[in-house]
Amino acid sequence: MSKKKKRHLSPGRALVGTVMLFYFLAFMLLGLQKMEWQCFVLAAVVPVLILFGSVGITKLYPADTLLLSLVNFLCALGVLVLYRLKPEYGMSQAVNYGVGVAAMIGCTLLIRYMPHFRLLNMPMMLAGLALLAAPLVMGVEKNDARSWIAIGGFSFQPSEVVKVLMLICLSTLLARRKVIPAMGFAAVCVLILAVQNDFGTALVYFGTAMVLGYAATGSLLLVGAGVGGAAAAVLAGSLIMPERFSRAMSRVDAWLDPWADPQGKGYQLIQGLVAMVNGGPFGVGLGVGNGTVIPQHQNDSIFMVIVNEFGMIFGLMILAVYVLIILRGMMIARNSRTRFHALLASGCAAMLAVQTFVIIGGNIKLIPMTGLPLPFISLGGTAMVSCMCIIGIMQGVSARNAADLREDRELALQGGDGL
Amino acid sequence: MAPEAYELLSMLMRYVFIALGGLILLRAGRQMLKDARAQKKELKKLPDAGRIGEVVDLETGKHYPLPREGMIGSSKTCDIRLRRRGVKRRHVLFEFAEGKGVRIKPCFGRKVWVEGVPIKATAYALHGTKVTLSHANIRIRLFAGLNVPHPAAFAAQMPDAAEEMPRDVFEMPRPFEQMMLQREMDGQPQDEQPQAFIPQEGAAWPGFDARGIPLSQELTEENDEAMPYFSPVQRNRRSDRR
Repeated sequence: MSKKKKRHLSPGRALVGTVMLFYFLAFMLLGLQKMEWQCFVLAAVVPVLILFGSVGITKLYPADTLLLSLVNFLCALGVLVLYRLKPEYGMSQAVNYGVGVAAMIGCTLLIRYMPHFRLLNMPMMLAGLALLAAPLVMGVEKNDARSWIAIGGFSFQPSEVVKVLMLICLSTLLARRKVIPAMGFAAVCVLILAVQNDFGTALVYFGTAMVLGYAATGSLLLVGAGVGGAAAAVLAGSLIMPERFSRAMSRVDAWLDPWADPQGKGYQLIQGLVAMVNGGPFGVGLGVGNGTVIPQHQNDSIFMVIVNEFGMIFGLMILAVYVLIILRGMMIARNSRTRFHALLASGCAAMLAVQTFVIIGGNIKLIPMTGLPLPFISLGGTAMVSCMCIIGIMQGVSARNAADLREDRELALQGGDGL
Repeated sequence: MAPEAYELLSMLMRYVFIALGGLILLRAGRQMLKDARAQKKELKKLPDAGRIGEVVDLETGKHYPLPREGMIGSSKTCDIRLRRRGVKRRHVLFEFAEGKGVRIKPCFGRKVWVEGVPIKATAYALHGTKVTLSHANIRIRLFAGLNVPHPAAFAAQMPDAAEEMPRDVFEMPRPFEQMMLQREMDGQPQDEQPQAFIPQEGAAWPGFDARGIPLSQELTEENDEAMPYFSPVQRNRRSDRR
């Protein structure tokens, strides 16, 4: 009697299957609550898109399936939670996600086939600074920060676009050991953002530049000088522009004691903390929570909504997914053959890490709230596209590593080994 | 669906979502471990992955692996650390350029000689090129199979670059001469020796292809030194199974 051969599914395929099942069940559940045909359509379409985005895309070009699966999981979670909050948000985020995937593919191909950006570096730096400074001239103020540009009916945040440019420029300069120009460029970017009152994004830029500087030089002195310089700049700024800094200080006050002004400055934090505690370890259930009472529930407070409905254990799982993405980025950086690609991949991982820490740290009252979007989940077109570009850069470096390893294998065979 | 029934269903499903979330994490972790193990295995087979050759310190005889790009100096952050008199913390930058060789660029104000010729901006080093950093002499050895010009073909193609190029790049032992010497040592009769070969532009030396790669794939410890290029290590090689 012949033994029946047992088929083992690879962990990658099994992961994609689990993610698909998760979203099929979640959208079906939401459909039962709302009895909307759109939900049932999404229950069918989202898993198929996840399958294409995680497995199908690897047939087009060499991609890292694990990274894609994890990113798709977070993006689809954003669509699900936003759809539950308001169907319009969900549909809008789905479109943002589609545009983000196209941007990711573009970035992957660019990094895979372009060995360096030395000639483009200076124009990119100038364009980045011009874009970053543009809101000071023609910007729109939203949530206390003048960091938006509105053209016609379309508005976007230049700082999100410049994030990607800054990563490439810093990596190019630091790969060529030009530490002072690199840190100077980063300092000017941070200064412009501070003038725009966008301290959250400035913190992300600063943190990423410090990590990249340390990765390139291994010098703690550089990090110390950076932190000291930033502290001196904050002190000087608070003396020169006390009005702007008083707004930032009000956020610090709300963080230190939100119950001092529960209806005003502390309202968002109190509502968020209450919602998270209300959720408990297992959550109140999808579609049952009261996340809509939290201000900015679709942007910087979305993690609070997730914890409220899915529970603290699930919140920790989301954190673990971010950690896995960041570890994967560091792994890609470690396997890189060139300094530029290693710095680029580690810069991407550092940027995601800093942004995630700043937003989730703000939500759980570890640090003051800043108003940044949670990568891949929060509503926002520019933020989603920039995050997907960062993943595209990681994918591009990963594809390049695979090609380099192939080349090394050929080299070892070509050189002759006496076999 | 009635709100009460939905609430009940939703409360039940939250456990399913947590279980699925845990499964996703578990599978992602397993995949990550599997990839890390595969990478480790691959690098064990190819310990020279990412390298293009080696640098030999001519005074101490120490060998340093040569990556595709990096820095030579006395600082611990340098890719090749030479702790010698006169070698600065950051002395010289190097980078492999496809089809050209190893581009050598001294850091600002540092003195570097390639085959005895001081270089101001950049110079290209090929297999066997001697580079002097202050009081330290090193020789660059490249792997076979790399896309670099053969020293002779390179000189024929770039006569105007002779000033910038290593002075005695032409003085390197030529494959033809090595073959003659080898045959002499092997005691083969003179009439069986190959005819003299005048290299044409892009032409190959006997026993070697146009890039100077030996056609014979045999590599042993005895003839390793006689080869114009050497090969990256493969751990499954018989000589490495010690």
